[in-house]
Amino acid sequence: MSQKTGQQVYNLTLKIHRYDPDTHRSWIQEYRLEAGRILRFVDLFRKINEEQDATLAWNSSCEHGQCGTCSVKVNGKSLLACELLVENAVQYFNTTTFNIEPLNIAPVVRDLLVDLEKAYERLDKVRPYIIRPAPALSPGEEYPISPHELEGYVNATRCINCFCCASACISSHRTFLGPHAMLAAIIRVMDPREQEKQERLKILYSDQGVYRCHSSRACSFVCPKQIDVAHFIALAKEGGITRKR
Amino acid sequence: MSKSLKIASTLQCDLLIIGAGGAGLRCAAEVLEKRPETSVIAITKGSHPQKSHTSTAQGGLAAVDPKDPADKTIYHMFDTWKGSDCTADQGVVRKITEAAWEQILWLETRGMHFSRDHNGKLSKRTFGGHTLNFGESSAYRAVFEADRTGKGIMDTCWGESLKRNISFINQSIATELLFKDNQCIGCLVFKQKTGELVRVLSRATVLATGGSGQVFKVTTNCRQNTGDGLTLILQAGLPIMDPEAVQFHPTGIVGPGILASETLRSVGGILRNKELEPFMERYAPKMKELAPRDLVARAIVSEIREGRGVLNPDHRLEHVWIDLRHLPDVVHEKQIPEVTGFFKKYLNIDPKHELCPVHPSNHYHMGGIPTNASGEILDRSQKVIAGLFAVGECAAASFHGFNRLGTNSILELITMGKFAADRVLDYFNSVSDNLPEAKGHLTLSRFSQYLEAGGDDNIGKIRDALRTLMTDKVSIFRTEAGLLQTMETLKELKDRADKTALSSKSLRMNQELFQHWELDNLLSVSMIIARAALDRRESRGAHYREDFPARKDEFNYHTLVSMTQFGEVEMAKREVDMSIFNEKGEYYEKFGMIERKY
Repeated sequence: MSQKTGQQVYNLTLKIHRYDPDTHRSWIQEYRLEAGRILRFVDLFRKINEEQDATLAWNSSCEHGQCGTCSVKVNGKSLLACELLVENAVQYFNTTTFNIEPLNIAPVVRDLLVDLEKAYERLDKVRPYIIRPAPALSPGEEYPISPHELEGYVNATRCINCFCCASACISSHRTFLGPHAMLAAIIRVMDPREQEKQERLKILYSDQGVYRCHSSRACSFVCPKQIDVAHFIALAKEGGITRKR
Repeated sequence: MSKSLKIASTLQCDLLIIGAGGAGLRCAAEVLEKRPETSVIAITKGSHPQKSHTSTAQGGLAAVDPKDPADKTIYHMFDTWKGSDCTADQGVVRKITEAAWEQILWLETRGMHFSRDHNGKLSKRTFGGHTLNFGESSAYRAVFEADRTGKGIMDTCWGESLKRNISFINQSIATELLFKDNQCIGCLVFKQKTGELVRVLSRATVLATGGSGQVFKVTTNCRQNTGDGLTLILQAGLPIMDPEAVQFHPTGIVGPGILASETLRSVGGILRNKELEPFMERYAPKMKELAPRDLVARAIVSEIREGRGVLNPDHRLEHVWIDLRHLPDVVHEKQIPEVTGFFKKYLNIDPKHELCPVHPSNHYHMGGIPTNASGEILDRSQKVIAGLFAVGECAAASFHGFNRLGTNSILELITMGKFAADRVLDYFNSVSDNLPEAKGHLTLSRFSQYLEAGGDDNIGKIRDALRTLMTDKVSIFRTEAGLLQTMETLKELKDRADKTALSSKSLRMNQELFQHWELDNLLSVSMIIARAALDRRESRGAHYREDFPARKDEFNYHTLVSMTQFGEVEMAKREVDMSIFNEKGEYYEKFGMIERKY
């Protein structure tokens, strides 16, 4: 087939976990809707708002996989709702019924919307910036970083903090800062522009750090940016992030 | 429950940033670096600053490297002036281009992960419209972080602000600016999560609320870009400049609206209509697919208007095809893998074997809140409003005039953010530490009206009707009849919106309440875009009037539009700053009223 113009419609059932902060009531609400093959789950939520229930709350921003705001669990898998097409979901989960929950990474504000501010507090603990910048080698010029050196950690810099990994991680959420927070710390250990390595390593190897990881690789499995998060954590565990490349 | 809506508390700070994207946080970071004791509050509508629209910018940041033997700042100034269709303000163009490299270094030394060349220096790439020697050849002027340059800026500015103890109020909106004796002293903030209204008193206030792309049905913009800052300014009785200057990209991907970049056409992609005819041959026999953006966009819309478009049933949108099937595998895999990936991800299409649907997509608002070159907001008579600044896409200094060059927008964010910070720091020396009080009177009545309306309609459906209307009548092609009709229909939509009852009267995270507020902003911005487009009886940059297809010297000015009551518009003008031309220095003749031909 060289062009897809034919309309195929799926009859879907969305079982959405809801929460009302005014009454503190939680329930599962079932919505039935018809949807074309390439609508995305964010489009389905919008369709519910327009056609059935304007009160259903959900979150999104860029809606093309660059910001990590619309993360939800669909049939148990943490993913970005803006990247999940109806026909792919039907095929992947082999059903037209979808159980949709908010990520279990922070308190729910309403329905599918979680308090990302709270979720980010763990990331803030690893200080996601350069603490003590190295002085320029030549004044007025950029700090040289070879493509080879950058290659060692550049994939970790692609993290968008969607929290899918944190939600899928099998380690205790209370004691582990989270796979994405580990990435943020690892980046600055490997970044030659950061001089403050000691504090970074202290955080990484603290009781909230990499040794909480059980190496299930769930983080790598769910990452919408296909970052091998577990690889970086394993590297940190074996001391590979401080080795000169 | 509306009776519970009241001002719950008052916060105080030195600097209030409304909108925590790249521009707002660049400003905050600078102020905190230079004056660490400053108390800064930043409000963001998204769930976190990192979720701002800045994060989605891909391509790069234009900046002339002083070490580059071939490139010169004067060429960057010329390219920007020419690209603007002679409507940028030359003083601002000079100030931004001259400061550009220093700001790149600011980002680099604070940890942005720029792509590197084999010497470990910042890599540079070419970009449309950026040239050496006044148009002679392409300039390698854009530094970048792979295909996520905006994310690099956002992460760096957020990180620096966080490091220096900024306070964020997330998932919140500024609903009303507060003034005392012609000085801005803060704003009212509605916190969505708790449903509380809070008053924030500040010595200086910076608007950095971003664009207004949600006015159109197909847009590259984030969901929260609803022109909120423009509406705050209109509400305060101040003008908006050049609202009619809205940029469209010819090939947006049907569905998410994001860009299928120029690269697809430059590597040989062919645009085809319903009959699979390669129609660009009729519009630009020589350049074909490589004709300038605006011409390609008009060709695509012409095909659709004349019945040769294809309807996408899922997104209910007519489009044309871009054909990439004939390109060798190596091109697909090496030169266009990202865009190929987008078609696969959002449409389940394999561009090697299938045609890909594209439609022009709204991309950028050149118009905005009028400021001077330090980001200070100006009133209709060009007088500075004390304590009030605007930077980023919501502002118009005007660096882009009527058409923006690629890679110039994120450059503007970081430079204007810095310039505004410099001015804010000066301003702190001249303004008293005592914060005057003001109450604000519009928010409570506006929100009460939302909560009390009793009609049977749907905010989402009205928003959809608005976006379809603006796309049909006020995007690529504009005509007098279409614009007049749009203004009438907008009034009807406003009436419908005013009467629409909310399904829930709760104040806590009531998405519909919040979307009603956004819809009002979209309606206001749409109205001023349509009205300014109606009065500009010429074509200039991205503003194309089918009934007046040429640029005219009599319109060599910036439009100023005020609207305190919906539909009651007042028009004024601001002169285009041609200081480089008027100073008669070297190359001044390049900065006259030149033709925008490439």
